[in-house]
Amino acid sequence: MTLSFFDQFMSPVFMGIPLMALALTLPWILFPIPTARWLNNRLLTLQGWFINRFTQQLLLPLNVGGHKWATILTSLMLFLITLNMLGLLPYTFTPTTQLSLNMGLAVPLWLATVIIGMRNQPTAALGHLLPEGTPVPLIPVLIIIETISLFIRPLALGVRLTANLTAGHLLIQLIATAAFVLLPIMPTVAILTSVVLFLLTLLEVAVAMIQAYVFVLLMSLYLQENV
Amino acid sequence: MLSRLVFVSANALKSSGPIGAGLVQVSHLHTSPQSLVPVPPLPEKGGKVRHGIIPDEIFQTLYPKTGVTGPYMLGTGLLLYMLSKEIYVINHETFAAASIGAVIIYGVKTFGPSVAEFADKLNEEKVAKAQEVKDLAMASLALAVENEKKEQWRVDGRQMLFAAKKNNVAMLLETNRRERQHMVHNEVKKRLDYQLALQNLHRRMEQEHMVNWVEKNVINSITPQQEKESIAKCITDLKALAKATQAKATA
Repeated sequence: MTLSFFDQFMSPVFMGIPLMALALTLPWILFPIPTARWLNNRLLTLQGWFINRFTQQLLLPLNVGGHKWATILTSLMLFLITLNMLGLLPYTFTPTTQLSLNMGLAVPLWLATVIIGMRNQPTAALGHLLPEGTPVPLIPVLIIIETISLFIRPLALGVRLTANLTAGHLLIQLIATAAFVLLPIMPTVAILTSVVLFLLTLLEVAVAMIQAYVFVLLMSLYLQENV
Repeated sequence: MLSRLVFVSANALKSSGPIGAGLVQVSHLHTSPQSLVPVPPLPEKGGKVRHGIIPDEIFQTLYPKTGVTGPYMLGTGLLLYMLSKEIYVINHETFAAASIGAVIIYGVKTFGPSVAEFADKLNEEKVAKAQEVKDLAMASLALAVENEKKEQWRVDGRQMLFAAKKNNVAMLLETNRRERQHMVHNEVKKRLDYQLALQNLHRRMEQEHMVNWVEKNVINSITPQQEKESIAKCITDLKALAKATQAKATA
């Protein structure tokens, strides 16, 4: 089966049945469910430790009203990090490379924070549109700029994640292709290219984790402003 | 490993997925007399694997028929079959797979032991905290038992203390009684001595008075005539006596 570079980004379909739902739900099998035991195996202990630490760190700057978002933010983080990391395996489909998925995650959550802000504290929420200490003549322009910045946020969140992951995967494909093609012709250069590929893969692992974290962090930031 | 994954996930889904639980457990609520507690202990180590991912069971199953090299021959054969028949085509993804495989193996080899140690430490800290509570409770209870024993010993000693105190008080009372008795004795003796002395005095005075009276009467009764006669008699007696003694002396 010959692959083109963009086959990996096509939403998987098997005999006409879209497999997107499976691609989104099956990764959850990798997370063991907490048992009724007091002491667990290493995987469950580490999972529990990670979830507790992450939630604690994420909720530090939020006030009590924002703590309602703990479940959704932590589960979002686990979801994104798992999808990103699993996508680095060969022949896998990464759902987070699809702009539709990322926008589907970003827009509702962002809109929820804005509506919460407008409903509970409209003055403060609108006050964010004018940074402190601006010179008086700049106020009208700045309000327009800040409004645009506010509405760009969901776009930025979704596109950031999509672009990072898509670019990373494409790069991996391209450099792997280069190494593959060069192997019979110039083996030394192929080996150098493989080294570059190795380093790039390391970078991609980091990017996968960081992008997931950045998504969740920015969401918590927007929540902080508005809750 | 994937077979094990399927096993574990099926178990997990059956035991705690919402629909699975509803289907399986509704019929099992409080029906068997078997108790779910205490939970049987977890095995100490996970399933044995060779080369990181291949379960040891495959090697054990194939050993009787194909010996030690059996599974390796199987693996090599499968790989070569897939490559030669172009079931698996080597393409750029193979390189990507090799690269990510290298990253994963490097990660597991370098960070595996420390992560495992960290997980074990988390569990050990949990156990240590509970153990500390248990030890503290036991120590405080042992101390309480000791204190109780001491208190019981003290209570026994208290009887002795009471007896000693009673003794003290009794002695004080006795001393007091004896003192008072002594005092009473003295006072009564004094009174009686006084009466005695008084009586003696009376008697003496009576005696003296009577002697004086008798003497006075005798002296008064002696007439002068009698006085002269008695004196003359005394002189003659004396002369006679003198003569007698003189005679005795010269004799």
